[in-house]
Amino acid sequence: MNLFKGNLLATVGFIIISIILFVAIFAPLLSPYDPNYIDINSILLPPSFDHLMGTDGLGRDVLSRMLYGARISLFVGFVAVGIATLIGIFLGSIAGFYGGWLDSIIMRLVDIMLSIPSFFLILAVIAFLTPSIWNIMIVIGLTSWMGVTRLVRAEFLSLRQRDYVLASIVMGTSNTKVITKHLLPNSLTPIIVSSVLGIASAVLIESGLSFLGLGVQAPTASWGNILTDGKEYIQFAWWLSLFPGLAILVTVLGYNLLGEGLRDVLDPKNK
Amino acid sequence: MKQNFLLICSLIFIISCSNNNSEVIDYNDNNLSTGGVLINAMSAEPSNLISMIAGDSASSAIASKIFNSLIRYDENLNFTSDIAESWKISNDQKTITFKIKKGLEWSDGEPLTSADVYFTWKLITNPNTRTPYGSDYALVSEASTPDANTFIVTYDDNYAPALDTWASLEILPKHILENEDINSTFFSRKPTGSNYYKLGDWVSGQQVNLIKSENGVLGAAYIEKLTSRIIPDTSSQFLELSAGNIDLMNINPIQFKRVFPAKPKLKNRTALYKEMGNGYTYLGFNLKREPFNDKKVRQAINYAINKDEVIKGVLLGLGEPISSPYKPGTRWSDPSLKPYEYSPKKALNLLKEAGYKMSDDNFLVKDGKTLEFEIITNQNKQREMTAVLIQRRLKEIGIKVSIRVIEWASFVNRFIKPGDFDVVVLGWSLSLDPDQFNIWHSSQQGPGQFNFVGYDNKKVDQLLEKGRRELNLDKREQIYHEFSRQLLDDSPIVYLYAGYGLTAVNKRIKGIKSPAPPAGIYHNSQDWFIPKSLRRNELTNK
Repeated sequence: MNLFKGNLLATVGFIIISIILFVAIFAPLLSPYDPNYIDINSILLPPSFDHLMGTDGLGRDVLSRMLYGARISLFVGFVAVGIATLIGIFLGSIAGFYGGWLDSIIMRLVDIMLSIPSFFLILAVIAFLTPSIWNIMIVIGLTSWMGVTRLVRAEFLSLRQRDYVLASIVMGTSNTKVITKHLLPNSLTPIIVSSVLGIASAVLIESGLSFLGLGVQAPTASWGNILTDGKEYIQFAWWLSLFPGLAILVTVLGYNLLGEGLRDVLDPKNK
Repeated sequence: MKQNFLLICSLIFIISCSNNNSEVIDYNDNNLSTGGVLINAMSAEPSNLISMIAGDSASSAIASKIFNSLIRYDENLNFTSDIAESWKISNDQKTITFKIKKGLEWSDGEPLTSADVYFTWKLITNPNTRTPYGSDYALVSEASTPDANTFIVTYDDNYAPALDTWASLEILPKHILENEDINSTFFSRKPTGSNYYKLGDWVSGQQVNLIKSENGVLGAAYIEKLTSRIIPDTSSQFLELSAGNIDLMNINPIQFKRVFPAKPKLKNRTALYKEMGNGYTYLGFNLKREPFNDKKVRQAINYAINKDEVIKGVLLGLGEPISSPYKPGTRWSDPSLKPYEYSPKKALNLLKEAGYKMSDDNFLVKDGKTLEFEIITNQNKQREMTAVLIQRRLKEIGIKVSIRVIEWASFVNRFIKPGDFDVVVLGWSLSLDPDQFNIWHSSQQGPGQFNFVGYDNKKVDQLLEKGRRELNLDKREQIYHEFSRQLLDDSPIVYLYAGYGLTAVNKRIKGIKSPAPPAGIYHNSQDWFIPKSLRRNELTNK
């Protein structure tokens, strides 16, 4: 594993995430059953060879639902973080490069957004919208760009004083070109690390929303709503709570390991 | 410190003793004796112990043990005496004369007379009293009390549900409330009643204790003390039941069919009761919207839903299909009516008659519009699962359905009250009187009123008006059977199921009738008793 320069954390995280990605992408091939196939004659069966993770309250195969649920969780994670990162880079660049009153306005906006507990903000917004996977991704994205903005701005502030940037400005290079050619490529490291960590929290938020019934709507499977179903039967149908709970745990752990590992690997001071 | 240590030691000793005892308890002890404590679980705290003001089920459950009405329902749901020993309906069916028992007392020793009844009637019809139930009693044009034991009411027009309304009005003491503002009185938390029990103490957020009253209107109960613990989460209630800390709780089909059989120890000391509940779950159409204004579409959807599958899958078989809005087995429910059978073929034929054609991607289309709608329901697992099962069956015949689950307060205020929905999965709890004017009469469609599906049928309107005026039970039965038939044919809602009420009771509680009489297992709760050998070991401060 030269990729991560022998960094164990990053390697383990990478493997975990790769497996989950693989499983999510090939869910239709790997699932033994249709995830929404209802069979009221096999309600709440414990794990067996027919149903490796048992069945739920409507006799649906939990393994198949978990596999399809992985798609939802990962998809939400990527798109939401993509939105947040784009917004963050855009606002952070402006604030860091131009400074002055623009910087003040953007940073105060960041402060205001950070002062509201994001989960409750998301809950409040979702309550007014039709809950759907698209709305959830957009809302998570729109409420979690602040960290990236701050990182990008901080990087820009320091990079902007470097000689090669000053030289480039003096030579009359356009602002857009300076930002895209010199500043952004040099501040990618913290952006990548924070995005990877951001995916972990997006997965958690999506599971939380689905658990509260405000996320992905029935009958679509998501780890969060499989877990809610499990809550009802926790006294004897442990498989309905254990597997989705473990899946969320492992995924979030994977992203965190990868993120932390990447930070170590990409940090020039560690070279 | 030393004292604390001793206390803990003795507690451990007591607990271990009681544990040892529980191993050898002989639940066959049936020696009737008075005393003991019954602990049950409630999901919500009562808001106010004056029923006419409160309006929530937790409050009325407690209040009904403290107060009496003029008359009450017996175990077969016929009227019988309570405060009134007899009642007479005049020949023109407009006047009811109640004869009140002599020598009745409130639990504080004051006499209970017709003046209290008159006072209560005045109170509930007073526009300043914040009660939702006033309108039924405002129909009384004249009330009088010729003597201390007679109460006479006269109606302008025949009013058939009259006796039912008098069976649900709890009589309040005039001597305490005369100079109180009923909306904000101390009495709502410190009531004085006349029934089997009186309020002992009420610890907010924890429990309500009722103590046996010796001078109750209907005699004395056997069990000394009823403790109602407030435990909002049903899983926590179940854990408390498993630990033996509560004696009684309502359970769900999963617990009944799956959890109890898997826990033999718990099963050994718990008796399970199953009774027909007085309510049903339905799929309701918004009749003001396309395409649900078309009767053929509604009937088609009714045919396309497999009710047996819903009962088997959601209730694990613990429910019954129904075909009228009445409790199966009562006289109001017409046994000759049958539910729409599951027949996708009939459904498709009806939809084709209504002008729908199958498109290439297997969905039904009419005038370029696909047949699709959204089912909304509140956060209730059973209703959500029901919606998923319906979604699957409707998809099979080419109807596209999406499901949305909404938290109760916004479900009612943002969707039901303004009528902003396509289709709902909801339930009705019913009163014992067959009058359903509020739910089905076309005049009851305003915001916040109960006919929110927008049902409007002149014939049904007439039947409902007639039914309220007919006091002859046999003729009344005919009217409501006719009404049910019309309703079933129109199919403004699809009856899904009437679920059984399931109750788990610790076997130390004796005297519960099984099978449950029509009035339910709680009906004779004053006759329940706990044999001495089966009582809990209790720490008292005496």
